[in-house]
Amino acid sequence: MTTRKVRYKKLNIKTPLPVLREHQIDANEYESLTTESQIVTGVEQGEENEYHLQAALKGVGASVDNEIPVPPPQKSVEADYDELYPTPYVEPRNYIKSSDTVEETLKGSLYDMTTEDDEFLKNYNAKRPGSAHLSEHDFERIMEIFEDTAAESAPYAEVDNTFVPYELMSQAISHHIREKSVQGHAKTIYEYWRGCRQVTGNKSLHPSLKFETHQEHDDMDPYVCFRRREVRQTRKTRARDVQVADKLKKLRRELEDGRQLVVFAHRREVLKREMLKTDKLVYEQRAKLKETKIRLNIKTDDDDLVNTKPQKRPKTEPQQPPRPTPHNQLRLAVRPDGGRSMEPVELTLLRDKQSERQLELLNNIELRVQDHRRWNANYIDLTADPLPPVKEEQEQNFRPAKTTYLMTPPASASDSMEVDETPPAPEKSIEPFVFKATSLEDSDEEEMPSFRRRVGRLGRLFIDRRPGKLRTGLSSPSRESSLLQSDRWKYDDDDDDDEPPVYKIDTNSLRQMKFRSTIPLPTSLVRRPGLDIAQLQAANRPVALPQGQALLQAAQAQAQAKAQALAAQGPSTQVPLVQPTMAQQPPSVQPP
Amino acid sequence: MSPSALNGEAAVGPEGPRQKSKATVDTLGVGCIAMVEKNGQARRAEILSIKDTKSGRQFYCNFDNFNKRLDEWVPAKRIDFDHDVEWPNPDKDKQKDSKGKNATVSKKKAPPSKAQKRPGKREQSVASESVTPHTWPEVSDTQPPSKAPSTPRDLEQKSAGTPAIGGDEMDVDEDDQAPEVKKEIEFSREAEIEKLRTGGSMTQNPTELARIRNISKVQFGQFDLFPWYFSPYPESFTQEDVIFICEFCLSYYGDKKSFTRHRQKCTLQHPPGNEIYRDDYVSFFEIDGRRQRTWCRNLCLLSKMFLDHKTLYYDVDPFLFYVMTQKTEKGHHLVGYFSKEKESADNYNVACILTLPQYQRKGFGRLLIQFSYELSKIEGKLGSPEKPLSDLGLLSYRQYWSENIIDLLLELNDREEKSSIESISTSLAMTTQDVEHTLQALKMQVYHKGEHKLVLPESMIQQREKAKSKKKRYISPENIQWKPPIFTASSRTWGW
Repeated sequence: MTTRKVRYKKLNIKTPLPVLREHQIDANEYESLTTESQIVTGVEQGEENEYHLQAALKGVGASVDNEIPVPPPQKSVEADYDELYPTPYVEPRNYIKSSDTVEETLKGSLYDMTTEDDEFLKNYNAKRPGSAHLSEHDFERIMEIFEDTAAESAPYAEVDNTFVPYELMSQAISHHIREKSVQGHAKTIYEYWRGCRQVTGNKSLHPSLKFETHQEHDDMDPYVCFRRREVRQTRKTRARDVQVADKLKKLRRELEDGRQLVVFAHRREVLKREMLKTDKLVYEQRAKLKETKIRLNIKTDDDDLVNTKPQKRPKTEPQQPPRPTPHNQLRLAVRPDGGRSMEPVELTLLRDKQSERQLELLNNIELRVQDHRRWNANYIDLTADPLPPVKEEQEQNFRPAKTTYLMTPPASASDSMEVDETPPAPEKSIEPFVFKATSLEDSDEEEMPSFRRRVGRLGRLFIDRRPGKLRTGLSSPSRESSLLQSDRWKYDDDDDDDEPPVYKIDTNSLRQMKFRSTIPLPTSLVRRPGLDIAQLQAANRPVALPQGQALLQAAQAQAQAKAQALAAQGPSTQVPLVQPTMAQQPPSVQPP
Repeated sequence: MSPSALNGEAAVGPEGPRQKSKATVDTLGVGCIAMVEKNGQARRAEILSIKDTKSGRQFYCNFDNFNKRLDEWVPAKRIDFDHDVEWPNPDKDKQKDSKGKNATVSKKKAPPSKAQKRPGKREQSVASESVTPHTWPEVSDTQPPSKAPSTPRDLEQKSAGTPAIGGDEMDVDEDDQAPEVKKEIEFSREAEIEKLRTGGSMTQNPTELARIRNISKVQFGQFDLFPWYFSPYPESFTQEDVIFICEFCLSYYGDKKSFTRHRQKCTLQHPPGNEIYRDDYVSFFEIDGRRQRTWCRNLCLLSKMFLDHKTLYYDVDPFLFYVMTQKTEKGHHLVGYFSKEKESADNYNVACILTLPQYQRKGFGRLLIQFSYELSKIEGKLGSPEKPLSDLGLLSYRQYWSENIIDLLLELNDREEKSSIESISTSLAMTTQDVEHTLQALKMQVYHKGEHKLVLPESMIQQREKAKSKKKRYISPENIQWKPPIFTASSRTWGW
């Protein structure tokens, strides 16, 4: 071993190791590789070197099995096994489930009579006639009661040598054993029991295990077993105290609630009983009254003999208001108690109220619409996706596309279908108002360009701008649609052409010139290729002049916004970016 | 592991030079070491107790390097009085006593801060039924193998010298708690209590009762069993020639009449728990120590007669008992069992494991072990038996481990696959330490050409094939109807 000193790499448990057979390695080498190292056994040190264990360990792998000798068990010769274990066992089909304890499964008393007991009982019974014999079973029952009572009322009998007096025992006996014949034996058995206890030092008659009594003496005593474990103390903290207090408080409260419930339930039941009594009394009085009436021949209506229900009226009234309006007419007809004087007044009142309410509602809506209009006056919503989805009113000459599944293909094309699909004429009164900012097209009346200053998040300053509308008759298409259109085609290229898209723009067209005129004059735009600065300025001047001050402000604000690299969010700054997309106009969306 | 151990190196009695002289039957006393005939050979033996019987004086002998289960009462004629007897050395013992005291004192001084620092550690070790006070891989490294370590002084030195070893912390704790223990009276009293508490076996104090078998014969079902070790049955049983134990409820009786009366009343025919496994050979029952306190206590008392290192110091509440039975027309007969902590801090899957003597050497131990690992597989944990193992326990476990590892490696070898220790460990639900130790014990793990390799020796393979042809029985995992029981914190603390 000492000749080959190899420095071993430490074996990592995660390293995959090749698995080989002995012949896959050179035999001579293998011999020397199997190191004679000390292997951990897990056996107590003092026993590791025991002769038989060592012999057995040496024998591993060898053909001879070295066994560790043990005292051999043997078949019991004395005991008659079948007599002791007579009950045949029937295996249930399913797996056994059982939780009864040993004590619970015992059928009979826990006291088992000893050989001495047996002798005593035999002598005892020999002196008596056959009918007065005490059975083993009853003897055990009596003894069990003595033992139990003694353990209960004199738990330290072993130490202070007290004997439970017979008076106490006889009480327990009469409590547990009904049969008078058995009770009669108790006195003699008591004397016997007392004698037995005296012999054993007033210990329990059944030999019992030694349990812990006193730490000092017990620790070394190997007979003391099954000690209780030290209970793990939960750490006491203030939070825990509070928690516990809260729990107790809650428990107290809940118990109090429960008590209250019971008290009230009790009170209710008492009242019910009183009511029944009173009802009975009324009934009896009435019976008497009736008799008297008959006897005296008094003929009035029998109102005082039956219960009238005067409380009907107030009950029906609160039901009316929540009824929905459309059923008004219907309810009138159905109404069972029709002939009352108050009714017509009530009805008209209700109808008025409802119409009033409706009117109020409409007024309110109107008011809000106006408010909204006022609030949005002079502003155009240029956001890509305005919060309330802007739906353009469907134009009448466009039939909404709708899939219809027909059993047979329609014979002739459009005529009949168009009739079917025509939407019903919108009711004027409930034409829905869309709460939105005025869009470019709507604002026909506005002429002047207007601006609004807003402070956005992070203190950003926005200038919203509404350019003055130029009445040329050639209105540009709605921003939203064009934006959406451009997005739609953005990634829809069939082939990945590297060449940039070419937009054919006639810079001198009326359209372009008109558009350019709306662009303000930011400094960054000055260097933009393809744009004639002079032209831009020229185009801008007539519009910008009246409000030179504001325009300057706008330019400043725009520069600021750009610096924050968030410029694209402001509606006003989008204008230059949109330029190419505006030029590319798919013909389908162009309004006729 | 040294060869000298086989030749019977002195391991009995206290160490050191002793007075040697001739003795007679009358002068020979407790603590003497004499040559006693055992199996036809003279062997050194320590006299642990003396009793006078009708046939003459008898001596209870513990033989050198033999397990305690082979201790026996020996008549005077088997003792070689021609040979010198080693006398117990009172001066030596006294000196040692004071030395022991010093040791404990120094122990007390040195690491109390450590003990205070880790109060949780103690809880854990207390909770186990027979935990080892020392962590076993370390010990073998630090202890020279040639030295016979069972002498008391050695142990004293060990505990004084190496306070880093786990067991001493518990000693120290004990000292902290009860500093007023009368050390001058007792022979290292704390250490003995600790032994009793954690190990169950008494080895130190020569006068200890627990070293001497207290019950001579047990009638259990159809068999007469001869106990191996002390068991704390009622003290009055010591006088009985035979005690009777009911095969089904395991209740114990010193009186025959009582036992027959009991048998007329006992209705149990199977362990009082739920059956969780059944095949045509054996069944397994799961029993909660808290619910079935009486039955489990009875079981522990019974098994203590055959397990030296089982401790009954604490109650059975925190354990589950998995009981293997065999069915006859009389009922389910207890064959063996293993106990398992409801919650093991050290991931032990077995606390105590025992096959009753009448069923030993029939392959039941392997079934018990396999079942314990099958449960671990269901739990998704790696398991290992609690230490210390007994000699028989070690052999059974080594057998099971090597069989399974060899089978697995043969498969891997056929497929020419590599395998790490960890993957072996997970596929067998064994801890990696157990896998490694088994591989080392079988000399299968070699270091060759700069890398570790696993080599299957031919002799092992042949042995394995021979064993396979014997048709052994195995647990069929698909017959297990079991879910890992869950115990809430309150149920563990309060039993709710």
